Amino acid sequence: MTTPMPSAESLKAFEEDLNQIRDEALAKVGKEDADYIRRVVLVQRVLDLGGRAVMVAGFYHWAFWVLGVAMLGIAKIINNMEIGHNIMHGQYDFMNDPHLNSLKYDWDGACSGGSWRRTHNFEHHTYTNVIGKDRDFGYDVLRLSDDVEWKPLYRMQFLRYLNMTLMFQWAVAFHELHGYILRNMRNKREGKAPTDNSELKADFYGKALKVLFRDYLFFPGLVAIFLGWPMFWMIFWGNMAANVIRNIWAATIIYCGHFTGNVHTFAEKECEGESRGQWYYRQILGSSNFEGPRLLHIMSGHLSRQVEHHLFPDMPSYRYNEVAQKVRAACARHGVPYNTGSFGGQYFSVIGRILKYSRKPKAQTQTPAAA
Amino acid sequence: MNGQIAQPETTLSRFHTWLAQSLVNNNEFFAYFEPFIRLAMPAWSTVGVRSRVMKVHSETGDVYSLVIRPGRRWKNFSAGQHVQISAELNGTLYTRTFSISTSPDYFRKTGLIELSIRSKPDGRVTPMLKEHFAKGGVCTLSDAGGDFLLPEGNEPLLLIAGGSGITPFRSMMNQLSSNSLRDVHLLFYIRNSSNALFRQELDRIAELHPNLKVTFINTEAEGQVCEEHLLRYCPDVADRIAMVCGPTPMIQGTRNLLSELGLPADQIRFEYFGAAPIEMEMTGEKSFVRFKTSGIATTTTPDEQMSLLDLAEKQGLTPQHGCRIGVCYQCVCTKESGVVFNTRTGQYSDTGKEDIQLCISVAASDLELNI
Ligand code: FES
Repeated sequence: MTTPMPSAESLKAFEEDLNQIRDEALAKVGKEDADYIRRVVLVQRVLDLGGRAVMVAGFYHWAFWVLGVAMLGIAKIINNMEIGHNIMHGQYDFMNDPHLNSLKYDWDGACSGGSWRRTHNFEHHTYTNVIGKDRDFGYDVLRLSDDVEWKPLYRMQFLRYLNMTLMFQWAVAFHELHGYILRNMRNKREGKAPTDNSELKADFYGKALKVLFRDYLFFPGLVAIFLGWPMFWMIFWGNMAANVIRNIWAATIIYCGHFTGNVHTFAEKECEGESRGQWYYRQILGSSNFEGPRLLHIMSGHLSRQVEHHLFPDMPSYRYNEVAQKVRAACARHGVPYNTGSFGGQYFSVIGRILKYSRKPKAQTQTPAAA
Repeated sequence: MNGQIAQPETTLSRFHTWLAQSLVNNNEFFAYFEPFIRLAMPAWSTVGVRSRVMKVHSETGDVYSLVIRPGRRWKNFSAGQHVQISAELNGTLYTRTFSISTSPDYFRKTGLIELSIRSKPDGRVTPMLKEHFAKGGVCTLSDAGGDFLLPEGNEPLLLIAGGSGITPFRSMMNQLSSNSLRDVHLLFYIRNSSNALFRQELDRIAELHPNLKVTFINTEAEGQVCEEHLLRYCPDVADRIAMVCGPTPMIQGTRNLLSELGLPADQIRFEYFGAAPIEMEMTGEKSFVRFKTSGIATTTTPDEQMSLLDLAEKQGLTPQHGCRIGVCYQCVCTKESGVVFNTRTGQYSDTGKEDIQLCISVAASDLELNI
């Protein structure tokens, strides 16, 4: 069920308040933000190199292996979330740093930067939770609202959800190509010519090869050359474990940002020719936050501030906590619902939503819960 | 950074790039280690040569010189060439191009170069640079570039400078004074005879070297470059190679004059002052937009309020883009020079080289874009 939009007039004042919040924060952006992201990059590098090195010492005692895996997993999380995701949004483009630039940055993950900018930055952030436009809403895999017709297949969607969580980097990498494949299947049914996706395929396999080579051949091989064959598998499994840690964490954070119980969805018609105010409104209703200590915010790439991130996707993440209070106050003033809660609470709300929409709707009597 | 010649692609360099992308998610390995290197050497960068600004001294009027000791990797230069200097001011790396105003001979003896810069009162960067380096500091230099050089051989020269367009000629005159008997005449157009830039230095050179002549022309009393001046001060103008450097209108006027006086095109050399990225005036009228890569140029007026993305598309170009509302950062392109107005934040950009979003930028001055 999609959400009705308040009138343009009533949103005008809201828009102005939010613009002011944005301008005040952006005016402060400078050295502090640059120093912050550089510090994060340095910590990430230390954990990345350190994790890989410590894992090798698993040779002496298995505890080193565990520690190394944890360090590498955290390094990958920081690389993807606080650094990669935010850099690719252009949040730190103001620095003019060639290695922290939205178009040039690439991350430690299977999804290529180009594909990410098209599907995430464009589709998802422009058409947030617009059914039929934002394929991130359920990823064409999960049924998360009544807008998607129920099929018996969805009974098992909790298993699909688990699977997607474990394999998250591959789900993200495959997302764009998947869309083309689905479209081509539709085209075929309707007797239309397929759209060409060879470039996407090359992109997908090109990047996949790079990450597979590094984690499952190069580093295991390098260590094995010096320490013998059994070490190959130790590093191999260690890297896989680190990747899985990252996958679980990233998927969980992202679900908490858009799939919580109270998140709204919208119809395509509603966002035609919308004003900035309407867009802001839709972004807020389509996102959810969670609260926690500073470290949790950093480890989530500040996606714990999903609402603020969706309002101002290119504002340095370092500023999200400070604007969050103001945004929340503005929402209260204008009677706009602001969705936040504890991390655990939001997570169980996501699970609830996944389970709820996996069940067959009770014919007509079903009340639209998404609204 | 430009000024560097692209290496030809070989199988080996392709493999090297692939390996770097695979292992450190960047085209070059050094980028990964940059944060570590910076711990030992702040402001170290993979692009350009880390150099030290020794001091700043004020020249006449609002012009100041940065005295720089280029790092060891910096290659030599020729008189008349310019260099890009980058410095971080409040978290942002600014890059500007300036002519080197001292001679190669001086560099050989002392290891120092000077950049002489006019501090624009309404400019953003030039006053900040002066303040920033008041006590010296670290900057990054590109290799020297540009082909506004002393012509080979021994033909007599006529140098015509306007205002701070004197900087490359200061370098040339000093260089000539140390090793040449060439017949050179410098016409220097100044606004106020009491505070002409480098007056004493130029007078002294002329005194010591009969082959080097300097004439100061006060534009307030005598007006701009005209045929009468040229014939009066330099009757044999047609037998010389003429070199012109100064503000754009002056160059254009002088070039026409010289060719009317019978100089063939290859005897007229010129350099728009400040090398390529000129600190352009905001015209408020027609702006001239040049798409550098495609070689297309067009004009636009402020009341048209057409985004640069629309403008480029109207010219038949197809820049990459997505949302068209400033969210996705797919339309980012490098602006070589000029000022744009950001319709989303309501702010004017800086004049120099930086990345902009085409879909929310409107031309506010003449522009050069890398499309
Ligand atoms: S087209 Fe999306 S930011 Fe310009």
